[in-house]
Amino acid sequence: MSDQNNQIDDIISFASSLRWKVGDDFHDKLTEAIYSDAAVITSRVETKGDDEKSYHFDRLLDRILTSRRFGFLIMALILSVILWLTIQGANYPSSMLNTLLLELIYPTLKSVSASIGLPWWLDGFLFDGVYMAVAWVIAVMLPPMAIFFPLFTLLEDFGYLPRVAFNLDGLFKKSGAHGKQALTMSMGWGCNAAGVVATRIIDSPRERLIAIITNNFSLCNGRWPTQILIATIFIGALVPSGLSGTISTLAVIAIAFLGIVFMFLTSWLLSRTMLKGEVSTFTLELPPYRPPRFWKTIYTSLIDRTIIVLWRAIIFAAPAGAVIWLISNIDIGSTSVASHAIEFLDPFGILIGLNGVILLAYVVAIPANEIVIPTVLMLTVAHFNITGFGAGDGVMFELDSVSETENILKTGGWTLLTGINLMLFSLLHNPCSTTIFTIYKETKSWKWTSVATILPVVFGVVVCFLIAQCWRLLF
Amino acid sequence: MIPNPTIALLIFSILVLLIYLGIKTRVWNRRTKAQRLKAQVEDVLKQLYHVQHSNKKATLNAMAGALKMSDSKLVYLLEHMAGLNLIRLKGQHIYLTESGTDYALKIIRVHRLWEKYLSEETGIDKSEWHQRAEMMEHNLTADQADELYRSLGSPRFDPHGDPIPMKSGEIIESSATPLSGIHPGKYVRITHIEDEPEVIYKQIINEKLHIDQQLKVLSCDDNKTRFLSEGIEYELSTIVASNISVKELNDEESFEAQAVRLSTLKEGEKAKVVGISKECRGANRRRLLDLGFIKGTTIETGLDGPMEEPKAYRIKNTLIALRNDQADLILIEKIAS
Repeated sequence: MSDQNNQIDDIISFASSLRWKVGDDFHDKLTEAIYSDAAVITSRVETKGDDEKSYHFDRLLDRILTSRRFGFLIMALILSVILWLTIQGANYPSSMLNTLLLELIYPTLKSVSASIGLPWWLDGFLFDGVYMAVAWVIAVMLPPMAIFFPLFTLLEDFGYLPRVAFNLDGLFKKSGAHGKQALTMSMGWGCNAAGVVATRIIDSPRERLIAIITNNFSLCNGRWPTQILIATIFIGALVPSGLSGTISTLAVIAIAFLGIVFMFLTSWLLSRTMLKGEVSTFTLELPPYRPPRFWKTIYTSLIDRTIIVLWRAIIFAAPAGAVIWLISNIDIGSTSVASHAIEFLDPFGILIGLNGVILLAYVVAIPANEIVIPTVLMLTVAHFNITGFGAGDGVMFELDSVSETENILKTGGWTLLTGINLMLFSLLHNPCSTTIFTIYKETKSWKWTSVATILPVVFGVVVCFLIAQCWRLLF
Repeated sequence: MIPNPTIALLIFSILVLLIYLGIKTRVWNRRTKAQRLKAQVEDVLKQLYHVQHSNKKATLNAMAGALKMSDSKLVYLLEHMAGLNLIRLKGQHIYLTESGTDYALKIIRVHRLWEKYLSEETGIDKSEWHQRAEMMEHNLTADQADELYRSLGSPRFDPHGDPIPMKSGEIIESSATPLSGIHPGKYVRITHIEDEPEVIYKQIINEKLHIDQQLKVLSCDDNKTRFLSEGIEYELSTIVASNISVKELNDEESFEAQAVRLSTLKEGEKAKVVGISKECRGANRRRLLDLGFIKGTTIETGLDGPMEEPKAYRIKNTLIALRNDQADLILIEKIAS
């Protein structure tokens, strides 16, 4: 028996000594041998179709789309067309939805509730609060997404988007990011939550986290209207009226570009500090071109991207509407909770060149950037007792007339500095709660979710603070 | 109402400065006095082990120089260690006791395992592995090291080619010779790259030399060593070359004289993949294997792209874009068309 045991020990120690000699890479060699054998076997039974013609077409197209001369030009052109189609095309369905939801259904609901004698607080809570926020989000959010995402998906299906990633990778590599981040970034211009979901196409863990955390620097479709409105009121007014349209458009584009700058900067920073330890692998497959499957693409992009994101937004908007209505209608002492909060936030708001109303609006309107301006208007009117506008405490509203909006804001103490800083803060603040939730779902990590949430606010506060101090020193 | 901007800016800069200093000095992550002593003792043990391992005798002066420590500090440490029965002092020389050797091997085991972990499971750059492992070797317990060893698939060598001591203290003697002592005309394979001193290690990394690379020594004198590898001619000073250990190729290995890097493939040329360099590790390596970068596969250039990188290559009827540093790690053999 002990003889046998000795033998076993001998074998084990012999095996152990052999393991030193066999080297470190025998696993690799084994795997590679299996792969090569498999390749030989498949090559024996594989039959290939004759695709000469489409192959040459692909090569030709590739040469044009990724050429030094036309590559970037074509890319910029296609992107501008998509953005233009989205912004212009969304106007009509947006105003239709607005008419339907806010001018037809809302009064009907109110009159029905009046006729069945609902108590004022329940009526206000349900219709002025919850319904209003949800309707607002749908009207502003749905049309652009329903245009932007199908167009994007069509390009993806055709095979063009991987070429964009290929063209831009050299640029993104410098900041430690993946070329495909160009795609998730553009997707973010439609909606950050959708942009975060789209980072699934990046298979390298480090670069994917970078893309997720920096997606918020893409000015999303909920923020474009804010930018345009504020730029028209405060920046367009600086120049003769003939030029004001052009100047304010340029200002908005400048903000969007500043977002790209921050995206590169943050990517660079993250890849060298917090994300240094994450694994980074680069691969990019350029699939053959194919005619996009039109209806299938429309269907899947509507279901996968638009509807899911919209649904999440609604879920988050409903409680926000409730909160907005409640803080304006619950009084502590003789003033509402909202007024207390505004007074509390005012010193800090003024310090960074904003004000308490704006900060409170950004806190309660976390669910959707779309409702920031309506909330600001409502809070300003309520807080400064401006009469003649709005529909009562806690009811968000927007005005058709830019000059009336301007009057309200100026009564609220807004200056050119407030306008500029609001545009900056609208770019650099925490993602909306839909996006935060999506980030958590995608990363499954509280750490990265908090980084993605807090980092932009810190940037925003610091940038606004510095601008405000310099402004006050200079003017 | 509006705060004074000058004062506001002043307070802000002070805050930024404080945060910066806090991060710089890691105030929240200071070692306690006992931890510092433990780390120093372990550093001395490791240094002693390396000195004895290379069949030299350790003296106080040489040790103090190598550890960048004052003599008095080292004397204090050595007395403390002698009290713990880790070392013996005999005349001018310092020797490790048996328990001291065991302890040193345990530290070396953790150090090399951690380097292996960093190379396989993280994206940390290789120039940082050593420094990080220097910190980590004092923090991991033996049990944690075992767990790491198992989760890494029981590796025997660290990424520099050094053997990782077994739990029992078993370790092999390396039979490699320095590159600076190889006769011209010999075919060798790099088995080990010394990661200390850092200046020389960084120089070797910058030359893109790595473990398992095959080379043909062209000439070798007191000042310079010249050799050919992967289609590139290298010239290193003898000091640098002596930090690279090599082994002559055995009968099963053949020098892949035709092997060049994929990055040298020019438009219109065809090639066969010879293999992926060992420098390409972990997830990166698996990914390339998945995509079909396997020995024997034909590959040709695909697209150049508008910038310097990436470039696309056609392999198995697919266009795959690779960055230049990746293309450097794939070895090919060009096929005459």
